[in-house]
Formats: sequence, C-alpha cells, structure tokens
Amino acid sequence: MKLTFTITFTLLVLFTHAQTAITGKVTDNKGIPITGANIYLDGTYDGSSSNEHGDFSFSTTQNGQQTLIISFLSFETYTLSKDVTEMSNLKVSLKEDVNSLGSVILNAGTFSAGDNSKASVLNPLDIVTTAGAAGDYIGAFQTLPGTSNVAEDGRLFVRGGDANETNIYIDGLRVFQPFAATTNNIPTRGRFSPFLFKGTNFSTGGYSAEYGDALSSVLLLNTIDEPEQEKTDLSFISVGLGIGNTQKWKKNSLSVNAFYLNLKPYQEIISQRVDWIKPFESFSGETVYRHKFNNGLLKIYGGLSYTDFELNQEDINVPEGVNFALRNRNLYLNSSYQGSLGNDWKITSGVSFANDDNDIKVISTDVDNQENSFHFKLKLKKRFSNRFKLNFGAEQFINTFSEEARTSTPENFKSSFDNNSTAAFTEANIFFSKKLAMQIGVRGVHNTLLDYTKVSPRASLAYKTSSKSQISLAYGDFYQAPSQEVLRYETDLDPEKSSHYILNYLYQNNGRTFRAEGYYKSYQSLIKFDTEIPEFNSLYSNQGDGYAAGLDIFWRDNKSIKNLEYWASYSYLNTERDYQNYPNRATPNFAGEHNLSLVTKYWVNDWKSLISTTYNFASGRPYNDPNTGIFQNQKTRTYNALNFSWAYLISQQKILYLSVSNVLGFDNVFNYQYSNTPDSNGTFARRPIRPNADRFFIVGFFWTISDNKTDNQLDNL
Amino acid sequence: MKTIVLLIALLTVSTINAQTAFEKGMTQAFDLWGDKKPDKAINLFERIAKAEKENWLPYYYAAQVHIITTFMIKDAEEIESRLIKAQNFLNEAKTFSKENAEILIMEALLNTAYVAYNPSVYGMTHSAKVEELYQKAKVLEPENPRAILYHAEWKMGSAKFWGKDPKAFCPEIEKAILYFEKETLTEPFYPRWGMDQVERIQKNCN
Repeated sequence: MKLTFTITFTLLVLFTHAQTAITGKVTDNKGIPITGANIYLDGTYDGSSSNEHGDFSFSTTQNGQQTLIISFLSFETYTLSKDVTEMSNLKVSLKEDVNSLGSVILNAGTFSAGDNSKASVLNPLDIVTTAGAAGDYIGAFQTLPGTSNVAEDGRLFVRGGDANETNIYIDGLRVFQPFAATTNNIPTRGRFSPFLFKGTNFSTGGYSAEYGDALSSVLLLNTIDEPEQEKTDLSFISVGLGIGNTQKWKKNSLSVNAFYLNLKPYQEIISQRVDWIKPFESFSGETVYRHKFNNGLLKIYGGLSYTDFELNQEDINVPEGVNFALRNRNLYLNSSYQGSLGNDWKITSGVSFANDDNDIKVISTDVDNQENSFHFKLKLKKRFSNRFKLNFGAEQFINTFSEEARTSTPENFKSSFDNNSTAAFTEANIFFSKKLAMQIGVRGVHNTLLDYTKVSPRASLAYKTSSKSQISLAYGDFYQAPSQEVLRYETDLDPEKSSHYILNYLYQNNGRTFRAEGYYKSYQSLIKFDTEIPEFNSLYSNQGDGYAAGLDIFWRDNKSIKNLEYWASYSYLNTERDYQNYPNRATPNFAGEHNLSLVTKYWVNDWKSLISTTYNFASGRPYNDPNTGIFQNQKTRTYNALNFSWAYLISQQKILYLSVSNVLGFDNVFNYQYSNTPDSNGTFARRPIRPNADRFFIVGFFWTISDNKTDNQLDNL
Repeated sequence: MKTIVLLIALLTVSTINAQTAFEKGMTQAFDLWGDKKPDKAINLFERIAKAEKENWLPYYYAAQVHIITTFMIKDAEEIESRLIKAQNFLNEAKTFSKENAEILIMEALLNTAYVAYNPSVYGMTHSAKVEELYQKAKVLEPENPRAILYHAEWKMGSAKFWGKDPKAFCPEIEKAILYFEKETLTEPFYPRWGMDQVERIQKNCN
C-alpha cells in the first residue's frame, strides 16, 4: 500500500504537473498585429509563435514567477516577469528597434561610403573604379556634389571654401599632411592607399561636435578591422611599381605596402607644358598592425614617404622662369584603440603624430622647414538605451613649426611657432521613434598660441517622411585657426568662423538614391592682409567675411539598366568673400558657379571588363583682369573633361587596367596670370594657367597572390 | 529499500524525459521547416537554444533556416536583416563550440548568400571570406563532406564565371560522396545534411 502510494505520488509529480495556459496578442505601437513573433518562458521549452492575428497561446507546466520573452526582428525584445497564472489575455505592443534597418538616419551634410551603412552612397570599390580618380581616393569624392572642380590642385574644395577648410581624419585621428607635397598648378594626390579603408564619411557641412578646426568639411576614413585573407599584391603601372603583403595569425594581422613612383619615363614620351628638370619621384611605405583583444581592437598605422622633384615654372613676370625644387619627407603614425568597458560603455582613444620636413629651393633661396604635429584623443560613449546615447571626449593638439630661409645675403630669416589647442566635446543622440531622431552637441576649444576660447553648438534633426524618404536639418558653428602661412608672422589674431544651415531631402528605393541638399554658410573674421602673399611685415586683421549658398543634387541608379551603375551630381554655388588681399567681396577663382559630374560603370560580362567613364563639367571660373576696373569680374571658358578607364580581369587575381583622362582633349584654362606692370600700350599682358598635359595615360597590371589560391592549385594536382 | 530503488528509477525516467524535450523540440522544429514554416522553425530553434543554454546546435540550425530562406526571397531589406540575424546566431554558436568546422561551413554559406544577393557590393570582400572559411573548415576536418562538396560548388561557380571548365572540380564531388557514405552519427542532430545536394551540383559534370 505504501509502495503504491509512493508510485502514485511520484507519477503525479512527474507527469501531471499543473498545466497553465499563457495567451495574448502582440501588436506594434499602432495596434497592427505582428505575425511570427517568438514568445516563450525564459529558460524553458515552453513557447510559441504568434499567428497572423498576432495571437499566441501555449501551455506550461511551470508555476510561480516566470519571465516571458517576446522577440521579433526589428523590434525591441519585450520581457515580463509575473506569476504564470497571471499571464493570460496579455496585450503586448512591441517598441520599434530604432537601430534596425529602415530607421531614420542623421545624414544632413554627409555622404558615406561603406558596405554596411544604409546611408552609403558609394561602396569601397567605387573609389578605385571611378574613371579619372586614377586610384586616388580623393578623386572619387570630387565627383560628389558640394565639391568644386579645381583640377590643377587635386584637393577638396567644398561649398565655396578653399582646400585648407577641409580636414581629414583616419580612425578619428587627425591627418596633418594628407596630400603629397607639390607646388602651384601640379595636382596633388592623397598619400594613402584606398584599399586600407573599409568605410568613409565625407561631410560637406554641419558635421559632429567631435571634429573641429575646419570651416567647411571633414573627410573621415576608417581603416579595415580585419583583412579578409592573407595575400600578396603586386602592381606594375606605367608610372611606378607597388608591392603589398598581408599576414594574419591568431588575433593579429599585419599589412605592409610600398610604392615607388617615377614620372620620368612617362614624361619623356608624352610632352608636358611644364619644364621638368627632375621629374616627380616618390617612395612611400605603409604598414598597419591590428590586434584583437577580447573586448577591443588595437590598430597601429605607420606611413613614411619621400618626394623629390625640380622644375622650371613659367611666370609672366620672370621671362627665364622660376626654378623650384622640393624634397619632402613625411612620417605619419596613428594608433587607436576601440573597446567596450562593459555596462554599455565604449571607449575610443588614440594618438597620431606627424613629422613633415621640406627642403625647398626657389631660384636662389633655400628654405628648410619642419613641422611636428601631435593629436591625442579620448572619447567615451554610453548607451543608455537604444533611444539615447551620449558621447563625450577631449583632445589635445600640439603643433610646432620652424623654418629657415637662406638667400645670398648673409642674413638668414627664421620663423617659428608653437600652436597648441585643447578641446572638449559632448554630443547626444536621441531617437524619439524610428521616424524622428536628433543629434545635439557642443564643442569648446582653447588655443594657447592665439589665446582664444570658443564654444560652438552643433545640431541635426531627421524625420522620415515615408518608408523611402526623409528630410533632415543641420546647424553648426565652426572655428578654424589661421593657416601656417599667417601664423608664422602674426599671432595676435582670432580664429576664422563659419556657420552652416543645411536642409536635406533623401529618397532611397531599391538601388536608386536621390538626394538634394540646400545650404547657406556664413563666414566671419576671415584673415586679411595687405600684401600679395603673407609676409613678415604685412598688416593682418580679422576683418574679412563672406557667404556661400547653394544646392547640391545627387542621383544614383544601380538598377534600371542591367550591368550599368551610374551617378550624377550637380552643384550650384553662389559665393563671395572678402579675405586675404581682396579689395572687396568677390567670388574666388576656385569657386565655379555650376559643377556637374556624370560617372558610369558598365560591366561587360563577355569581356570580363569594367568600363568606366566620368564626365566633368564646370562653368567658367572667375579671374581678375587688371585691365578692367572691377576686381575678379572675368570668367574663364567652361571646363570639360571626359575620363575613361578599362579594367580587364584576366583571371580572378590578375587585372589589366587602362585609364585616360580627358580623352577628347578639351583645352581647359583654370586661371590667368597677369603681368605686374603694364606694357608700353598700358595693358597688362597675361598667360593662361592650363593643365600640364591635356591627357594623362595609365597602363597597369595588378596581380594578387593569395595563399588560398596556391592551396587550391595544390589540391588539384 | 524497494521504495528508494523505485524512486531512483522513476527519477531516471524524469531525466530521460528532460533529454527528450530537446529531441522532441528539435524534431518538431525540423518538421516545421519541412512544412515550409521557416519562421516558426527559427523561433523554435531559438527557444531551444535559450533553454539549453550551452548547446550550439539549435543556434546553428536557426542560422541555417535564415540563410536558406534568403535564397528564395527578393526583398533587399528582408535579406539583409535575415543575414544579420543568421550571423548573430552563428556568433552565439561559436561561443559554445570553438574551432567547429560545421559552423565555419555555415558561415561560408552565409557569405555566399551575400555575394549571390548583391555581387557588386559584396562580391569582392565576401568572396575572399568564403574561400578562407572553406579552407579553415577543411584544415579542421579534412574529411568533412559538406566542406568538400560546397567548396567544390563555389569553385565551380567561379570557374564558370571566368570561362574555365567547372569539371576540374568533379573529382572533389566524388570525394565528398565517399565521405558522406562514411559519415556516422556521433550525437543526435549533429549536422549530416548535404547528400541530397550532390545530384544538383553534379549536373556541372555532365
């Protein structure tokens, strides 16, 4: 009897647990039922999926206090801790996950390129395959709206600002000399290999409080976290040779690149308008080491480059020409750490250092200068919830410059300065819903050389008007210290200031993107001086000012025509400024009114070829003719260029590449140089400033050797 | 004494019961998938994974259902969110089973799905990843038939694209068949799928 009782009791415990029914309904915040949500008691097998009416029901043998979990793609997971008997007829409305795809993006002023951001307008490959860019990552950005065509310079001129108003950052740290050393009218190139970067953000205005000391724009480049594979890259180009190697082991990876460029053989074949004495020669080496920790990632980048050239520059005031020689050595180190501190805290910290050394000879003057720059940054990010995140941080810049000029006179001329500044910033990201988001921040900076402290607010707001479109607004104040050319002679100055007001509309639908952005930018306290170029005895002031207003249009379509991707950019720019030695407000030479780019990339499957073309158009650029009474009131002829490139994939790992710029040979004029003194008829003679050559050809062969491939071949033998 | 023996016996039944809850759940999830209810199957795999705590298998299958589903849909946003979700499941699986060839093979399939869905964006970066993952899987398990078969299919695809003869990889398929036949079930629900795909892939050899 006793035994029977025990058995019965045990069986009761084992098999006849009390069954409790859990039922309810899942909807979104508008009451629309959610089908397929996963509903279960945490830590048990008991659960179910919601049906097409959002209803769910299941039974459980659990009792007492339990945790019910409801999860569904693109919604925040819901949890409920209660006694199971109270879990019936539940009404649960899930909150949208504001981090999911399809949420509003804060994008006013910004173009991003990368493969994982919805705001991306370019993918990493676009940067190398854009015709006319010739592998220079800056070249691809010059086809985006908001930039002005200044082909003789090669840098980025954004929305009526000159090239010094754009700063470049790698992994959040400042790059002090991002461009190869050059001289007037010889276009420069970015120093870095485009393959180092996984994503870029190009802001043409209204950017985050994290960045400062740039009046117009920032270009943010992020290096690759982990290379895809071990490989060796060889490049044989008509103007140089390159080699690269990547190794991966355990939690480390190391990439090394070297490139040697020599334009001598090329310039012997193709005639140039420039009288080269020693054609452009450069050697550059880069290395990146990455180490993954359990909670973070360390990246160390080092780049060293050496450039040497000499030429005789045509000058209307110097009949025999101006002899100019330059030797530049540049070292750049950038080390950053990103990691998680737990409890939704993240840290980003890093140091960058640059040493730039120039040895310049202009006619009989020898100029040696050296610049050391240092940037330290610490940023913390706290995620309070998906809807509220806070960033704050501080940074320190140290910059020392010294120069010594020697002429035939016994007296040497020396100049130097130490320009240090400290900045702190904070910024909050607030998502009110999947449709409405705001970013608001403030940045304060103190500069010890000029002894100023400035505070600048930044704000942006975005609202999703439909599932495919959104509008956004941005506002910000920006300060920038005067350029090195001025600081070496005068430090009793204030920073230059600009304010941006931006309105953006974005439409994205299945491979098609339309973006229109209108802006107004005001300039205050621009530096003025009373000589042709800044000199030690010039009179300097902060009395310049100006404005820029315009409309940028971008259209990209990857879908309508099979195998064809194209984008079109148009920028309208209306700008005037009174700065440097201008007698009054006028439009600078670099700021053309209309700029248009059309970029196409067509994949021909039968030929295994990617054929790219880029057409650039720019309306005439203003120049000053001293024969007329009005400053800067003449315009050059319009600028046209059609660039072409052809990449032929011989096999998966071998590529043959041909590129020709300005195929049709348009005769472009950038500006005019006028004689300082009138001739006997009382007129000032002039000479046009034109490209060094109408066309530029590149033929290259790129060969990637990866261990994978070797392995494959061995397998097949 | 008798009572104690009986109690122990009955408690053993109870533990077996708990084990079969896993088996029952897994079987039910596979049935849901078979009945073309992939999302219900994924939900169930996910529930089992959460309840089991340290078992990589349910996460692995939840990822597999997402990946296979993307091959049959066109909506870009849905494909992207499924693949992100699948990667998260595989990351979970990896925390419970490191250096696991089956997870690497599944990750290679996931990257293949990215390439198949948008070659112009993902072609260059993810192709290298696919190759590397199969290589790694083969180092861990040189006789894994899925690694051999799917790697061969991947290489056939790229051979076809480059205008080369995909037949070069047919011996690999023969090798895969051999290993499929040798494969034994070591633990319940351990991945053993793929044999039924041989015929489809072998069409390249005719």
